Amino acid sequence: MNEEKAAILKGTLDMLILKIVALGPIHGYAISQRIQQISKDYFRLQQGSLYPALHSLENRGLLAADWRATDTGREAKFYKLTPKGRKHLEAEMESWERTAQAVALILRTAQ
Amino acid sequence: MRWLIRLFRKRKIEHQLDSELRFHIEQRTADLIANGVTPTEARRHALIEFGGIERAKEECREARGWSFAEDTWRDICYGVRMLRKSPGFTTVAVLTLALGIGANTAIFSVVDAAFLSSLPVRDPGRLVVLQWRAHEGPRASNMSGYGDCGRVGGSQSTSGCSFSYPMYAQIRARRSVFAQAIAFAGAGQLDLSGNGPASIVQGRLVSGNFFGTLGVRAVIGRLIEPSDDRTGAAPVVVLSYRLWQSAFGGSPSVIGRSIRLNNVVFTIVGVADPRFAGITPGSLYDLWVPLSQTTPLRVAWVSHSRHDPGNWWLVIVGRLKTGVSLSQAQAAVSLLFRNDMLHGAKPLFTAQADPRIVLLRAREGLTGGRAYYEDPLLVLMLSVGIVLLIACANVAGLTLARSASRQKEMAVRLALGAGPLRIARQLLSENLLLAALGGLIGFLFAYWGVHAFISMEHSQLRVSPDLRILGFTAAISVLTGILAGSAPAFRGPRVDLVPSLKEGGGGFPGGARPRGRWFSAGNALVVAQVALAVVLLAGAGLLIRTLENLESLNPGFDTKSVLLFGVDPALLGYNASRTESLYAQLQQRLAALPGVASVGYSTRALLSHSLSETSVYIEGQPGKSRNVDILGTGLGFFSTLRIPLVAGREFDSADFARADAAAAAREADKSLPPPISSHTFLSPREPPSASSKVSALISVLVNEAFVRQFLGKRNPLGVTIGEDKNGNWEIVGVVGDAKYSNLRRAVHPTVYVPLAGGGAHFELRTAVSPESLIPAVRGVVEHVDPELPLFGMKTQTQTIQQLLSSQRLFSQLLGFFAFLALLLACLGLYGLLSYEVARRTREIGIRMALGAQRSSVFRLVVGEGLALALVGGAIGIAVSLGVTRYLGSLLYGVRPGNPAILIGVVALITLVAALACYVPARKAMRVDPNVALRQE
Repeated sequence: MNEEKAAILKGTLDMLILKIVALGPIHGYAISQRIQQISKDYFRLQQGSLYPALHSLENRGLLAADWRATDTGREAKFYKLTPKGRKHLEAEMESWERTAQAVALILRTAQ
Repeated sequence: MRWLIRLFRKRKIEHQLDSELRFHIEQRTADLIANGVTPTEARRHALIEFGGIERAKEECREARGWSFAEDTWRDICYGVRMLRKSPGFTTVAVLTLALGIGANTAIFSVVDAAFLSSLPVRDPGRLVVLQWRAHEGPRASNMSGYGDCGRVGGSQSTSGCSFSYPMYAQIRARRSVFAQAIAFAGAGQLDLSGNGPASIVQGRLVSGNFFGTLGVRAVIGRLIEPSDDRTGAAPVVVLSYRLWQSAFGGSPSVIGRSIRLNNVVFTIVGVADPRFAGITPGSLYDLWVPLSQTTPLRVAWVSHSRHDPGNWWLVIVGRLKTGVSLSQAQAAVSLLFRNDMLHGAKPLFTAQADPRIVLLRAREGLTGGRAYYEDPLLVLMLSVGIVLLIACANVAGLTLARSASRQKEMAVRLALGAGPLRIARQLLSENLLLAALGGLIGFLFAYWGVHAFISMEHSQLRVSPDLRILGFTAAISVLTGILAGSAPAFRGPRVDLVPSLKEGGGGFPGGARPRGRWFSAGNALVVAQVALAVVLLAGAGLLIRTLENLESLNPGFDTKSVLLFGVDPALLGYNASRTESLYAQLQQRLAALPGVASVGYSTRALLSHSLSETSVYIEGQPGKSRNVDILGTGLGFFSTLRIPLVAGREFDSADFARADAAAAAREADKSLPPPISSHTFLSPREPPSASSKVSALISVLVNEAFVRQFLGKRNPLGVTIGEDKNGNWEIVGVVGDAKYSNLRRAVHPTVYVPLAGGGAHFELRTAVSPESLIPAVRGVVEHVDPELPLFGMKTQTQTIQQLLSSQRLFSQLLGFFAFLALLLACLGLYGLLSYEVARRTREIGIRMALGAQRSSVFRLVVGEGLALALVGGAIGIAVSLGVTRYLGSLLYGVRPGNPAILIGVVALITLVAALACYVPARKAMRVDPNVALRQE
């Protein structure tokens, strides 16, 4: 039933998470909703696989986390970008741009 | 520190992970409900969307990564679980390691106390001892030492640590080199009275700056100060903590009290710090007095010639100035010494002799009695090292056998994705755990062992477990764990997965093994253990034989039923003639005691570790002085000790009268030849001038060794000898050879002279038990002179026991370690064979099913065990032939490589190995083919 949904390209999930977190502190559930919303449900994301990625980013010092209350008053773990994470995100985005351009160039000129 | 915090926060992290994921699911459920889905359906849907929760959790944990500490903790937990699962293995392994580690810790703590601990003074690294060296000896009239820096050699000695007082004064005045220079000398035995019954104490004469320079503190009162050392200063004494406790009950009121030392009144001014019992390791002194009191105390060998540049009696220790290096100081002091020796008021060396000074660090220079137990301790260190190696090999063997039986477990873990490194680490940490437990128990063993050792030896060493010893134990425990664990750990991962997993119970894993088994790691370990045990057994055998030889040795006189005691009337100011009448009176009254057969006396008691040496010229052999032992003897000495007279006659009273007259003349001349304290060897280079005035010849006796070595076939009777070239001693008799200072020392040529003046030891030949006479003897001496203290009251048998006590202890310890090694090696053999039999149950079953006799199965197992033991034994013998050569100086009457001992050792190891094989062999014999074949 989800055949038209694409799996997230290997290695890009980290970048997507960082980009979303860059907008402001946010908890895990909200991140998963954002990815679905912004990509207009294009990506097929097994929600459970989001968390290992978050924990790994936190462990690498790219994300920081603390517990605070949500709008509904529940305690949730909010992630935010560290300065190191911001640098990493910029580098990743730049390299992604270049890769995408190169790929597009090849696809176009090889026609 | 982050890893540590994480380790303890593990529970919190788990809890947070849990609530984070739950929050997600609940939020999703709430959103779906808000979209109109029923609650039950909403939750189901949320869970499906999420995927496996436990898997996600595990992946999160993985993403965080395991820290080193968490890994280690996991290893430890797992290790504890594995060890608890096989308590038999754990107990044997831990005890084995505990014995090995404990033995090492015990011996190390003794070595630590004897060699490594620093001097109990401030900044000992800057203290240096002066030692003179030259190509020939000095023309000093007197040289004495007190066991501080090795032996003071005989007359030909070309180095030493004794200096004259004027030399000390010069060095002290030269402030450019040493911040301070202290000097000290033994005061010998002092007669302490004025505090209950008179007793003998060991005193030290020290310069006024002694305590200040060393930085020693007083417990109460004050210590000796420079003002106490001026001529005419009031006599003061500082007590050692030990004497203060034992003789004065630790009472603070002793300060200001008067005591008498050699009948001179001294005021007690203070008590030294309990940690300070002397600057030389192992030395114990009861009290210290200033050098200025040397003359009033009548310290016999210095009192008349304290300021004589030819009397060398002081040990000098300097504290280097900051900024002055050892070599700079040495050059400066050497120059000073050389100038004074060659161009001073009284030149004592020729320029060819090249006299110079060498500065030794106090720790290396002040050896004390260390030289006497250096070799035995080294041997003990090596043997406990061997015991530990055997223990390691043993545990490695056990682990190896166990890891073979755990192959299936390993295969499962490898199949589940554990890396080979991870498994090696696991095995290693199990062994480290074993070693840690072993170390813990071993430390307790060592603690008890050392205390038993100290109380048995009445040793003067202060041994207490300190950080260094704990560190040593920890270090060897870790090393042991790695040694014992590495073989199996690196072998463990080399498991072929498929057959191990397919294999059921204990068939033959890795079916190709039975051939080439001879070189298996397990066999090699057992062979190594047996070989090491054989080396220890051979060494122990040699030392036990040495002890037997010494115990059964005939010292040349009858040692049974002899009571000894010493008196020193010279300390109370007796002169030669008063001394002689005192001795005559004592001899007469003692001989009258019921139970006493005869009484003799001599300057020294035999076999009591004390000795005098001198050099003599022999008539007809001019220009050639001979080193001989010398002993002053009184009437009845030879007959009481039953030393046979071989030729001529014994001393008679006329001989003593002439000797006394000569002694009196010397006393009048104020140049008494000094008596000698133990460990002291004198060489009177400039003979007393008075001797030439005495025309009458003094009768002496010599022993057979003297005649054999110096006179050959010449008739010894009537030959004159002497300490100078115009000899005034006439040989009137020859006596049988008898051991002098101790049992090991060969009988040297000895001259027996008539005892005249000075202290004496009495020998009583008794018809009853010698101990029972002690009160009566005390009564006699007290009756004759109540001020005269008795010392060294014991039987001749006891003196021999004391001579041999360290030898006995040494042999016993080595024997114990060798026994331990044998036990461990055979345990290793037993373990290996048991494992082999269990592993080959099926093979044995097949053999039996095919018609093998039970007896041949038995022979198979015993044969393998004995073969291993014999190979180990052969290697061990070869190694021990090489190694025991170094025991040479510790042996007596037996040579390394003694065939009887080697054969005995091989027989013992074969016997014990056969016992170790017996149980597994019986087990193999009882294998029931039906059961064995159906086992799978």
